[in-house]
Amino acid sequence: MGRVIAMRVLGSVGAVFGATVLAFMIMRVLPGNPARLILGPLATSQAVTALNHHIGLDQPLYTQYWRYISDFFQGNWGYSYSDGASVRKLIGERAPATIELALFSFVITMLAAVGLALLSTYRHRPITDRIVRGASYLGFGTPPFFLALLLLIVFFSTLHILPGPEGRLGVQAAAPAAVTRMYTIDALLAGELGTFWEALKHLILPGLALGISSFSFLVRLLRANLLEVSREPFITVARGKGLRRWTAFRRHALPNAFLPTLTAGGLVLGEFLAGSVLIERVFNWPGVGSLVFDAIVKQDYAIVQTFILLSAVMFVLVNLAVDLLYAVIDPRVRIPTVATA
Amino acid sequence: MDELALSVRNLSTVYDTGGSVVHAVRDVSFDLRRTERLGVVGESGSGKSALALSILGLIEPPGRVVEGEIVLGGRDISKLSDRQLGAVRGKEIALVLQDPSSALDPVKTIGSQIVEALTVHEPDLRRAAVRRRAAELLREVDISQAERRLDDYPHQYSGGMRQRVAIAIAIANNPRVLIADEPTTALDVTTQAQVLALLDRLVDEHRTAVILITHNLGIVSDFCDSVAVMYAGRFVETSGVDHIFVAPTHPYSEALLKCVPNPERLAEGPLPAISGFPPDLSQLPSGCSFAPRCPVGRDLPQCHEQAPVPHRVSGPAGEASVECHFAEQRIREVAV
Ligand SMILES: Nc1ncnc2c1ncn2[C@@H]1O[C@H](COP(=O)(O)OP(=O)(O)OP(=O)(O)O)[C@@H](O)[C@H]1O
Ligand code: SF4
Ligand SMILES: [Mg+2]
Repeated sequence: MGRVIAMRVLGSVGAVFGATVLAFMIMRVLPGNPARLILGPLATSQAVTALNHHIGLDQPLYTQYWRYISDFFQGNWGYSYSDGASVRKLIGERAPATIELALFSFVITMLAAVGLALLSTYRHRPITDRIVRGASYLGFGTPPFFLALLLLIVFFSTLHILPGPEGRLGVQAAAPAAVTRMYTIDALLAGELGTFWEALKHLILPGLALGISSFSFLVRLLRANLLEVSREPFITVARGKGLRRWTAFRRHALPNAFLPTLTAGGLVLGEFLAGSVLIERVFNWPGVGSLVFDAIVKQDYAIVQTFILLSAVMFVLVNLAVDLLYAVIDPRVRIPTVATA
Repeated sequence: MDELALSVRNLSTVYDTGGSVVHAVRDVSFDLRRTERLGVVGESGSGKSALALSILGLIEPPGRVVEGEIVLGGRDISKLSDRQLGAVRGKEIALVLQDPSSALDPVKTIGSQIVEALTVHEPDLRRAAVRRRAAELLREVDISQAERRLDDYPHQYSGGMRQRVAIAIAIANNPRVLIADEPTTALDVTTQAQVLALLDRLVDEHRTAVILITHNLGIVSDFCDSVAVMYAGRFVETSGVDHIFVAPTHPYSEALLKCVPNPERLAEGPLPAISGFPPDLSQLPSGCSFAPRCPVGRDLPQCHEQAPVPHRVSGPAGEASVECHFAEQRIREVAV
């Protein structure tokens, strides 16, 4: 197992390295000189040269790259030149909102997908199965932000049952005492049920909008997977021992279907943590996504770059965690095959 | 000695695949005496596995047992609920499947999969006692260091060992009847012989009746007492094992055996292919289902119009039941 883990960690380091090189290169090939961009079109060429020297752009590429990644991993992510604050501080302030939304969306998406997949595969129920397969095309190929608008029109403008695009809490509500800075959790910790409910209601529409395309993907994947596993001969063998249908399904089909679900779950979580720029914009969600959206508009490269690299690193880390879990859970990975006669 | 272990009457099973109905098992009847070993042979798709699953009540949708009586140890189990059948499966009648690599759950230990077979029927057993019994079962199927190897996973076992585990699971509760669906097909020749020898010894010791489904006529001649030739979902010829090799009466049986001219070569391989295609089980001809391929009846209107009923005939090597209009005539020709 040690070998497997070492391989996975090494692979992840490789992936992160690739991502940093890519991000670094993109920065180099972007049109325009960063110093010129900072100083503006009216600056003298001496001033540009001086700044180039100051930020190290006249150094050899590998020196620049080394500085770039050592800065990144030390958390020196530079300064936003639209408002002068450090990028680390800006992202740090916004991260809890994004993480809370991602986790919420992840939980409801997984629950719905697993539930529906079970419903349509445990026992032969053609009608249920058809409905589930229909549901799995919901939001398939629909751009998430369009869906977000649709949800707002239905549940906010028309039915008035859920809050509109006003961020994490209504205007009158005060944020709960900061512990994790995820409002639902902090509200529960503080015992403020009203605030919890408010925060939860504000999570629902963005959570749905964020989750729906992954939901489609997950339902189809899990359904196919469960169907395949429940047709395995070892299920027939288990039933042949005298196990009831549900017992055989629970003991043998579910654990075997769990592993691929874990992989898919990791992919989806990584995607949610990284990819809610447009959804956050639509719902005025004060997370990293909104920050990045504004930064793109203002060409605030320090923020955009850091975000890209952070997303890549996080994606790699989530998948590494999944791989490691795999190595612990799956005996075929954990224990090598010994050829014994 | 004439006590019946299993008696199947008019068993029919279909697969209803939206539009076409596949008649996988058609009106099969047979008796299995205590300690009898019945070989079921027939080409691929003739309904052998469907028959095995039907007897155990394990046909899954879109399949369905449409009728039939399955009397096991004096009790008709065909009308039991799934819960009631659960008490019968694994306890009175057990199953061994073809492919040992997929017959065991890859993420559960060998031990837990054997233990499960015991505890379903005796939930009150103490854990240590069940484990001891599981180790005994492993030893019984010739797996060395049984105690230690209980905690291994299937991928740590070779194919032959996995099939022995499958056999250990099947005999765990000393069932009256064991159905083995091509238990050695997926193994190499040496392992085949070992597994078969093991099965031979165990069913002898436990006095288990066996239905052995196989493509291999050599295995039938070595292992079985009686044989049923299955064609298009029906038993077209049923007899003692000697009869089929001495005087195959149904033209299909004869064709099967003619492809193996030398009895020495029987052990070598799977069922020989005979010319023509197996019938489409969703569009069966109205007469004899073998008629389109039958060297005898191909051109006879009677064979194409009228389905033959079983004829009891007596030949040089015993009696047989043969579904062919010309059974009597043919056995006389063979007997001469
Ligand atoms: N799940 C299923 N759905 C639809 N048809 C099926 C299903 N299982 C089996 N059949 C059909 O039932 C018929 C009998 O199949 P069965 O598996 O019993 O054949 P077999 O004699 O065991 O063949 P083999 O020697 O290849 O194992 C075949 O025509 C097959 O296509
Ligand atoms: S009934 Fe006719 S077609 Fe059928 S096996 Fe006999 S001779 Fe051949
Ligand atoms: Mg089969």
